[in-house]
Amino acid sequence: MLSEGLLYCAEGNPESFNPQLVTSGTTLDMTANLLYDRLIEYSDEAKEYVPALAESWQINEDGTEYSFTLREGVEFHQTRYFTPTRPLTATDVQFSFERWLNTDHPFHLISMTGYPFFSAVGLDRLIQRIEVKDDHNFTIHLHEPDSSFIANLATDFAVILSAEYGEQLVAEDNRVALDNLPVGTGPFKFQHFRKDVSLSYRRHQGYWQGAAKSERVVFRIIPSDHKRILMLLTKDCDIVPYPPARDLDDLDARDDINLYSTVSPNTAFWAFNTQKPPFDDVRVRQALIHAIDRESIVKAVYFGHAALAQSILPNTSWAHFSDEDAYTFDPVAARELLADAGYPNGFSMNIWALPVQRAYNPNARKMAELMQSDLANIGVQVNIVSYEWSTFRRRLADGDHDSVLIGWSGDNPDPDNFFRPLLSCAAVLSGSNRARWCEPRFDRLVMSAIRTADRDERLAFYREAQELLNNQVPLMPIVHSMRYKATQPYIEGMHLEPYGGTRLLNTHKGQP
Amino acid sequence: MTRYLLRQLSLLLVTLFLLTVLSFSLGYWFPGDALVNLSGIQTLDSALYQQVASSRGFDSNILVQYFRYLGHLLQGDWGVSLQDGTPVWNEVKARFPATMELAVLASILALLLGIPMGIISALNLGRWPDRFLMGLSLSAYSIPVFWLAQLFILVFAVNLQWFPIAGQINPLYNIEPVTGSIVLDLARADHPAKSAALLDVLRHLLLPLLVLAVMPATLLARLTRAAMHDVLRRNYIKSARAKGLTASQVIFKHAVPNTMQSVTRDLGVIFSFLITNTMITEVIFSWPGLGSWLIRSIYERDYPVMQAGLLTLAALILLVNVLLNLLHAWRYPQIRQELYANA
Repeated sequence: MLSEGLLYCAEGNPESFNPQLVTSGTTLDMTANLLYDRLIEYSDEAKEYVPALAESWQINEDGTEYSFTLREGVEFHQTRYFTPTRPLTATDVQFSFERWLNTDHPFHLISMTGYPFFSAVGLDRLIQRIEVKDDHNFTIHLHEPDSSFIANLATDFAVILSAEYGEQLVAEDNRVALDNLPVGTGPFKFQHFRKDVSLSYRRHQGYWQGAAKSERVVFRIIPSDHKRILMLLTKDCDIVPYPPARDLDDLDARDDINLYSTVSPNTAFWAFNTQKPPFDDVRVRQALIHAIDRESIVKAVYFGHAALAQSILPNTSWAHFSDEDAYTFDPVAARELLADAGYPNGFSMNIWALPVQRAYNPNARKMAELMQSDLANIGVQVNIVSYEWSTFRRRLADGDHDSVLIGWSGDNPDPDNFFRPLLSCAAVLSGSNRARWCEPRFDRLVMSAIRTADRDERLAFYREAQELLNNQVPLMPIVHSMRYKATQPYIEGMHLEPYGGTRLLNTHKGQP
Repeated sequence: MTRYLLRQLSLLLVTLFLLTVLSFSLGYWFPGDALVNLSGIQTLDSALYQQVASSRGFDSNILVQYFRYLGHLLQGDWGVSLQDGTPVWNEVKARFPATMELAVLASILALLLGIPMGIISALNLGRWPDRFLMGLSLSAYSIPVFWLAQLFILVFAVNLQWFPIAGQINPLYNIEPVTGSIVLDLARADHPAKSAALLDVLRHLLLPLLVLAVMPATLLARLTRAAMHDVLRRNYIKSARAKGLTASQVIFKHAVPNTMQSVTRDLGVIFSFLITNTMITEVIFSWPGLGSWLIRSIYERDYPVMQAGLLTLAALILLVNVLLNLLHAWRYPQIRQELYANA
């Protein structure tokens, strides 16, 4: 009984069981690749997009029509609350997409949080309509060409739900269950969830890629990172995600623990509120950046387990461009720039420190304290601010901050994922542009880059965009970090993907 | 006895009433909108807000509001959590049995350890067993429960790997939570590996129970020792000995029952200490009870949950004290006489 299940110690409760509704990595890890499938996926080995629920796809010449053929015989989960009578068809795809596209859809208004990923990347404005041709063929019509479209379809958010289950819920007048009692096509099906305690999944026998190796997966909810490591040592957990940086060397040295790592395209950054003086002055921003000793931050906060960032775009991306001079530690130059800008005696400001641990920033408060002393050297007095996480995000979106320490994890390998959601003018309105920086030239560059599919042309646009960022410095990139998971030695078939949530299809307990 | 019973019950009712008044006032004392604090319903929809306001009497005076609050409370509508919108009563129902499970089992363990320790000490007053046991209890009593828990975890779980450190059972056993108390859930579950699951439950229970039982056990040992010492000097013990009763007859027929009289009186205070420690122990051992929930709600400023947690725990301590008073008076008639004499 025990040997057929996995204990995965998660860092928090899932907010929902439907990835369409969330952006939190915790929820995606626990739902996206376990309960659901997408039309296509990104294979990091092949470095290309591969078929998943869609067997094949074609793009017309203008890049505005994407025609897909669905795989046949894909079964939905049979659970105590739903028994499917038919396999996956194109109507399920239409149902799943229109749920967030179409404001008249019966399930659209059920979400209290909207559909944050789709609105941030503008997919809801890009897709014109979804045309179902027959059971297994459908076409998605776009308003204009977008080279990041395929990449966005491969993200954790673009999951396929069951239209038949939707009809049943409408008939039962219990529409909220769509997101709380999930039905998907993924390798595991939902069993039960007890908040703050555990979440149980069972194997989906009819999974189209073959049944999962483990009969059961149980997520234990353990918010303290210290406790998760203790529970790994006492064998209360089989798999522990995001072990704290301070323990990585110890875990790596132990024979009775396996430590896995992968590059995880993410960037921790320090964003200035460029709509507030004095941060609207580029010289002030440059001065503040030159005052920070980023190398000692890498040592003290990440214990060396992170790479110093030279651009907002991670160094693993093909479009990455680094400028060694833009973010150097140079207090003398910093003081001169500050004097030029009219603040020879400095000023006082606040730094908002992210209140939760993330792979890109395990301890934002400590980082803020280091920066506080660096900035004191050039006469800038820093006040560190932190709120409870939901308040923090709300006030940040309102623009109450002077500057903030936060970050971004890539959802897909397309460089666009680091530009438009973070620094475009549209993102100022949706609140995800933490610098509140709106530069029409930058917007033109990134929009031109997604209108073409030619990689060399895109590279040129992205290079220019990054040069513009290095000159204007709306934010200071800090590091790109790795993603880690620690497991018991007898756990086999672990494989970490750089993008997206946890996959456990082939993970199982071997001989202890 | 009837008079005493009525007096105790009216005391219980009056105190419970004051408790609900306090809990209701908290809604006003916490920052923010009192209606939101009491009901947990946050909405921008003014029609829905009006509906909640009128159902809770917020369109009327504060007295009406209080009685509406009481009505909701009695119907099991304790509002919803500000954090996730789930009904507070459902959580209380699932978590209270888990807390009681720890508290009751730890009390039993403490009684089984503490009282014999006290008796042995009293019988060997001033000699080595007494000095050893009292030294042990003094040092155990001086260790704060959070530190003891960490020590036990380090030694018995991390180094020796004998015990797990979190939760009620290995979740892979897949015991469906019905009552919230793992012992009861396992007893009623139809499970293929029941004995293995039971063993796993015991391994999960042992460390938290030990940690919890240490303080009440040491307190009980000291109380029993003092009471027994006092009883052994009484004339009826001397006369029992003079009549030629054996030592064990004197101790078990006369000394111990009389000792228990004054120990019973103090059990209520010990239980209050135990509940406080249960809160801390639940957090350390991730036990899904009221304590860990209440403490997290304080961090998250989840006012409806804080009110519910405080109300439940305060009512529990009150109830246990009243029941112990009744037990005391019923078991030891001379106590009733004293009470009447004073009245």
